[in-house]
Order: sequence, then C-alpha cells, then structure tokens
Amino acid sequence: MWKTVARRTVIMIPQIFLLSILVFLLAKAMPGDALTGLLDPSIDPAAIEAQRERLGLNNPWYVQYWDWITKAVQGDFGQSFRFKLPVAELIGQRMMNTIWLSLATLVLTYLIAIPLGIISGRYHDTWADRFITGYTYLGFAAPLFIFALLMLWVFGFHFGWFPTEGSVTPGTKPGTWAYAASKIYHILLPALSMALITTVTTVQLLRSEIIDTKQKDFITTARAKGASESRVYNRHILRNSMLPIAAFFGYEITGLIGGTVFIESIFSYPGMGELFLSSISLRDFSVVTALVLLYGAASILGALISDLILGIVDPRIRIK
Amino acid sequence: MGNTYGKRPEADRSPSGWRILWREIVRDKVALASFIFLGLVFLAVYGVSLVLDQKQIVTVDLFALNQPPSADFWLGTDYGGRDVFGQLIIGTRNSLSIGIIVTLLTGLIGVLVGLVSGYFGGTVDNVFMRFVDFFMILPTLMVVIAFVTAVPKYGVVSFSLIMTAFLWMGIARLIRSKALQERELDYVQASRTVGSSHFKIMFAQVLPNLSSIIIVTMTLNLAANIGLESGLSFLGFGFPESTPSLGTLVSYARNPQTLEFRWWIWLPASVLILVLMLCINNVGQALKRAADARQRRG
Amino acid sequence: MPFLEVNDLLVHYPVRGGIFNRKQRVVKAVDGVHLAIEQGQTYGLVGESGSGKTTTGRAIIGLSPITSGSVLFQGRDIARSGTRMPPAVRRDIQMIFQDPYSSLNPKKRVLDIVAEPLRNFEKLSAQEEKRRVRQLLEQVGLSAESIYKYPHEFSGGQRQRIGIARAIALKPKLIIADEPVSALDVSVQAQVLNFMKDIQKELQLTYLLISHDLGIIKHMCNFIGIMYKGRYVEQGTTADIFENPQHIYTKRLLSAIPDLDPSKREKLAKLRGAVNAEYEQFHGSYFDDEGLAHPLKAITKTHSAALP
Repeated sequence: MWKTVARRTVIMIPQIFLLSILVFLLAKAMPGDALTGLLDPSIDPAAIEAQRERLGLNNPWYVQYWDWITKAVQGDFGQSFRFKLPVAELIGQRMMNTIWLSLATLVLTYLIAIPLGIISGRYHDTWADRFITGYTYLGFAAPLFIFALLMLWVFGFHFGWFPTEGSVTPGTKPGTWAYAASKIYHILLPALSMALITTVTTVQLLRSEIIDTKQKDFITTARAKGASESRVYNRHILRNSMLPIAAFFGYEITGLIGGTVFIESIFSYPGMGELFLSSISLRDFSVVTALVLLYGAASILGALISDLILGIVDPRIRIK
Repeated sequence: MGNTYGKRPEADRSPSGWRILWREIVRDKVALASFIFLGLVFLAVYGVSLVLDQKQIVTVDLFALNQPPSADFWLGTDYGGRDVFGQLIIGTRNSLSIGIIVTLLTGLIGVLVGLVSGYFGGTVDNVFMRFVDFFMILPTLMVVIAFVTAVPKYGVVSFSLIMTAFLWMGIARLIRSKALQERELDYVQASRTVGSSHFKIMFAQVLPNLSSIIIVTMTLNLAANIGLESGLSFLGFGFPESTPSLGTLVSYARNPQTLEFRWWIWLPASVLILVLMLCINNVGQALKRAADARQRRG
Repeated sequence: MPFLEVNDLLVHYPVRGGIFNRKQRVVKAVDGVHLAIEQGQTYGLVGESGSGKTTTGRAIIGLSPITSGSVLFQGRDIARSGTRMPPAVRRDIQMIFQDPYSSLNPKKRVLDIVAEPLRNFEKLSAQEEKRRVRQLLEQVGLSAESIYKYPHEFSGGQRQRIGIARAIALKPKLIIADEPVSALDVSVQAQVLNFMKDIQKELQLTYLLISHDLGIIKHMCNFIGIMYKGRYVEQGTTADIFENPQHIYTKRLLSAIPDLDPSKREKLAKLRGAVNAEYEQFHGSYFDDEGLAHPLKAITKTHSAALP
C-alpha cells in the first residue's frame, strides 16, 4: 500500500511543477506587471526603469520564475494593488467562506445522492425510480449557472425565503449564535443549488452500481443461503456499491472548484471564486495567479485523493 | 453479372453503424422529438438570422430601455434598448456555431492523439497520457478565463482556439482506452501479417470500429461545450460584446434589478439553453444505447 | 538448407513495477528454440498453454519482438530486430488465427477483408480484385455471392474459411496456423482441417501448425516439436514421437490422449498410472533446478529429446 501512495505522490510533483510554470507564464502574458498598479503615473520613466531593475523584472524569465516560486512556497504571493494588502492575507480572508460553501455542498450532495440512489437502484423500473431518473436526466443536462440563477430568482427574490447576497448579515458579531445562524442561513441556498446539480452523477453512479451488483452471482448465493432481503441489501449490495462512490469523492472536489466560481458570482458570496472574477476584471493579476495556482493544487490533490481511495478500495489497480 | 455487384446497396443485407444509430433514435420517442426540435431550432435560427441585421440589433436605442414584451419587441428590450428577441436568435446561432466548431476541433485532435497513443502504446502512450493527465487535472474554467484575459487580440477565433486547447483531453483519453482494447484483437495482427502499414491499420481498420463511440461522445460534448461557452459568456469571459451569445443575455441577470423585475431579458435565453442541452443530451443518450448493444431497445 | 530455420530463438518480456516503473524481472516466453522445417511439410508445435508455442509462431512472422536468435526463411534472415520484414518475405509467410471472431474486422465486408493483402501488394483494378476475391472464396468453399456480407453473418467455420482465403490470397509459401480449429465446434474441426490439407497439396504450402491437441497434430503433421515453459522437450517425426517417446513429459502428454474404445479403458488407466509414477520419480532428473528442460540430445537423425 505505501508503494502506491509513494508512486502516486511522486507523479504529483512534476504536475505541480508544470502547473506553477504554466501559471507563471500566464501571469507574464497578462497585460501589466507588479509595478503597474503600485506606481503613480506622475513618476518619471527613468525611476520606473530603476524600480523594475531593482525588483528583478528585467531578469530572464527563469530567474524571475525562481524568485516567484521560492516566495510562493513561503506563502508570499505579492501585493494586491486593489486592496493594498498582501495577496496571501486577502485570500486567507476569503478562503474560509469557500471552504464552508464547499463543505455544505458536499454534505448536501451525499445527503441527497445516497437515499435517491438506493431507492432508484433497489426498486428500479418503478415509478419512484422513473421519477428519480427523470430528475438526474434533467440535472445532468442543466448548466449549473442557469439552475442557480433560477433558484435565486424563485426562492431568493420571488418568495424571499433566503438572503440574495453575502455570507452573513452585516453587523452581526462574530462568535455569537446569531452570527453562526446567519452564516448557515446565507450558505443554504447557494449550497443547495450546487448540490442539486452535482449530486446527479453520484445518484446515477450509485443506481447503476446497485443494479449491477444485484445481478452478481454472490448475491444469488446469499439469497440461496436464506439471507433476509434487508440483510442482502445492507450487508452485500450496499457495501459493494458504495465503494465506487467513495472513490469518486476526490473528483467531486475538482468539480466543486468550477462550481463555486459560478455560485459565488451569482449569489454575490464573498469567497475565492468571487475574488478571482473581480480581480481579473480589475486586472489585479497577482491575486489571479495566486488563485489559479491554489485552485490547481486543490485539483491535483483531489485527483490524488481519488486515486488513493480507489487503490484502497480496489486492490486490482494498486501499483505493485 | 460483374457490374451489378458494385451497384447493389449492401445496407439491405446488414445494417451499417449509421443505420443502427438512426434506428435507435427513431425508436426512442423522446429522442426523436428532441432530434426534430433541434432540427427546427437550427433551421429557424440560421434561417431567421439571415434576414436579421445584427448591427441594428446590437445598436443602443435610448428611447426603448428595458421595455417589457410588446408587439414591437416580442421579448422586450434590454438596458440598452436592444431587441431581446433578435439577440436571442443571433445569440443562439453564435452559441450553436461555436459549440459545433469547438466540438469538431476537439474531436479531431482528441481522436488523433487518442488513436495514435492507444494503438502504439509503450513510450508514445506514456508521454501522451502524462500530458493529458496533467491537462485533465487543471481547473479548466479558471485557466480558460485567465487565458481569455491574457490574449491580446481577443475575438471569436481566439476564443474557440482557447476552448479547444483545454477540452480535447477527455475524448483523447476515451479513444485511447478503446484503441488500446482494439489493438489486442486479432484483426489488427491479421492486418499486419498481410502487410498493411500502421497508418492504414489505425485509420482504415481500427477507426471504423470506434466510429459509434466517437459520434456518441461528440454529441454529448456538444451539449457540454455549449454549456461551457454560455457559462463563460455569462461570467463575461466568452464572446466579445459585439457578438451576443445566449450566455450574454443570461448575464444581464447578474444585475439584481434585471433578475428580479425584468425576466423577459434573461429567462427566455436560460430556458432555451436548458432545452437545447436537454435535447442534445437526449439524442446523445439514445445514441449511447445504440452503440452499446447490451442496452439497445430493439 | 532447410526451408525455414529458427536458431536459438529468445523472446523475453520485461515485467515492470515499483515506484519508478523499472524493469524488475523478465518472463522468458521463448527460451532457446531451434527448429527446421522442410518445404511442403507440416510441422506441429505442441505444448500446454503458456509453453511458448504461440509466441514462437508470432515471433517467426514478426508479430512478437525477438530478443535474440535468428529466423532464416529460404536462407535469409528475416527477423533481425529493428528492421521491417522485407515485402517479398511478408507475402510468402501468412498466418491463420485462432479466433475466427476477433480475427475478422467486424466493420468490413468480406470483399474488403479478403482483398486487404491484394491491395497492399498488387495493384488490381476494382473489377479484377472482385474477380480474385470471388475465386478465393470459391476456393475455400464459400459462395462467391457473399463478398458484400459482413463477418457476423457467418458461422465460426465459415469465418475461419474467410480467414484462410485472406491468408492464401497472396499465394504464400509458409502458413503459420495458430490453433486454427480450437475455437470451432468439434463437428466442424475435421472439415476445416481436411480442407487445410487439400489446399496444402493444391498450393504446395508449408505449415507450421500450433496446437495443444495431439489428435490434430497426429492427423496433420509429419514432424513434431514439443514445448514446455519456453523450451523444447522433444522433437522428431510423427512416428518418433508417437511410437518411441523418450522424455517423461512427452510420455505423460501421450498417455493423456483419450481413447474412444471403452474396452481399452482399463488398460489406458493402468498405463496412465505407470507414466505418472515414472514422472513423479524422475521429475528431478529430467528438469533442472528451475523446473525447465535440459538442452536437446540427438537420439537418431530425426529424433532428439531433452534427456538428462
């Protein structure tokens, strides 16, 4: 087992390296550099040139890359010219919001997927199954941003059941119960909107796994030996069908990254995705590159988690 | 006698791949309805947009801001007084066009890379697949958005190229795994022993066996690509302003006032995206069943 | 000079693994095979699955990479690693595959399948090509009308005949037949085998017949080689092998051939018991420390065995 982990982790290193180079080159390709935002336009060009030289902006790209990456590893991503704050600090403020949103979405995703998948798989070809399958069809086709927009329109604006923006009611004191309640209240509609769409693949996967497992010989054997129907389902079918779902977990993380960008933008939720979009519109590129790097690292980690779970679950694909 | 052989249609003897696919769509009433609907949308959108004047539609009209639907403006006007219905038609045309272009381009690259990689295996495969793995892991949305901002001369062409650059890996991976299975079959070995070149074997022998899976994947990808394009346009990183897409119309809803009170601007486009994607997916799923003999309905 | 001569053929496959995917050990699929076939002969290669007989056949025709050794076809080395087989030789050596289902491309019509070798080597007009394909189909006992059909419209035996039509399209000199009938119904096996014998006479073919079925081998072959774990155990004429087996492994194989005559059942069971006892007793001396056969020793001019 440790070999699988080791090998998979070894594969990760060049991926992260490549990612950092890509992000760096992207940053270089973007119009303007670290000085564009900092400087007063009235400063004399010669002074700017001196400043550029001092900051190493005239060095060859690999030297600049090395400077950038060594700082990035230490958590120094430069300054945001918009907020006049270190990028790391800025992201730190937003990161918790995105993590809470993602966690809530994940929890809701599985809370929806597991019962629906089990009902649909266990009683397949009944009306309940047809209804659930219809929902998954719809959810599979519907783009997240359209669905979220409709949810916001209907439940946020039309009925007014949920707040339509922000992550907490302004003026609430952190640490109080009211604060926590307000946070949960603000997170509910965005998380539900995302979960209702992302859960669809998991429902489909669980359903087909259960239907497949139902027809396997060992289930027939279990029945033949006189195991009760509930025992057959709980001990044999579910246990075997849940494994692929577990393995899918890491990829959910990757999927969430794209999702949160849309959701945070639509619900004006102050997370990293919203920060990413506003920074890119305002050309605050040091924030943008840091975020792309961070999101990329999260994706790589998600894939790693999935592969490792898959390795634990299915001994056949373990690396020998 | 000799000549009649060449002329005889062989379809009456055994159904070709295309026929099986078509038969499955016809049998599946929902898929057939979706297919017909898509055909009508196509005809309507491309037909009507020929008579519409795009310049006139995207021109700001200050005397007709945010008007609700009326006889003059079937779906009202937006904040710039532009006719929403006209934008809807042109937006659908643009969204469909770019969806198709990107799907074809990604399909072409993906099939080529996947086929070569899977057929040869070994080092070629290893190098290609490490590369593909890396791109698959990237947070596509962010990277595409970052590229869109980084590209100096931004337009429809560069937008489709950026989308293509980050979307061909899925199909490459799929085709590669199928090619890997195919090349183990004896017919590939047989072709080698009768002296066919690798090139001929890949494209004349193996590729036809992958055709149905390619069609299915490309259909499903078309829906996904239209979704991604409208999503990017919604966020403001898709088509440039002068070329409205369905996503552009939906993006007006990012203004809470528009979202709450002026449904005619964004709701029709949203519903149209939803319906288009649902229909394309329906057709794709029917094709998928046709391609997988075990699930065929008859 | 023999028609086909294989010298000290080695086919080794690396097994990779570990964190950096390094070569950890090798599987010796074929481990030092010598064989010689005369023109017009049928040479049978026998062994259990995993004995390397199929790999030997595939190495000769260039489908499996050769680690070392040489394959001389009419005195010409045709299997030097890294070089492509010369086209003239490619035409002369053809193969009949084991599985008639996977060896025909399901998306191609019979015309395209049988014409594939012709298209590669002969520039024929469409008319001429069709005429040749029809002729070939008739030669293998299929209706000339079937050229526009797809493989799935044929039975296993018919499909194998299509495979044979493809193999003989270029009028080859040597055909490697890898278990040509083992995927077929027993009732069809004899048909296909006898048909193979007929076209052998007609086209003066040389066969290398690979099989695990000693009955088929006895029926078809003049010369036999027996393989075990990548090495030769014994070789000789059909008479040498069937009437005077020397190696305990050969004896054991022969004793396992079923006999349809029930009156001999007891006698056969006794024989098997005796052979088994001998095998157990002498196993250590007939095989080396790794359980592999020793080098061959000549017994007569035609007969040799891996005796201790």
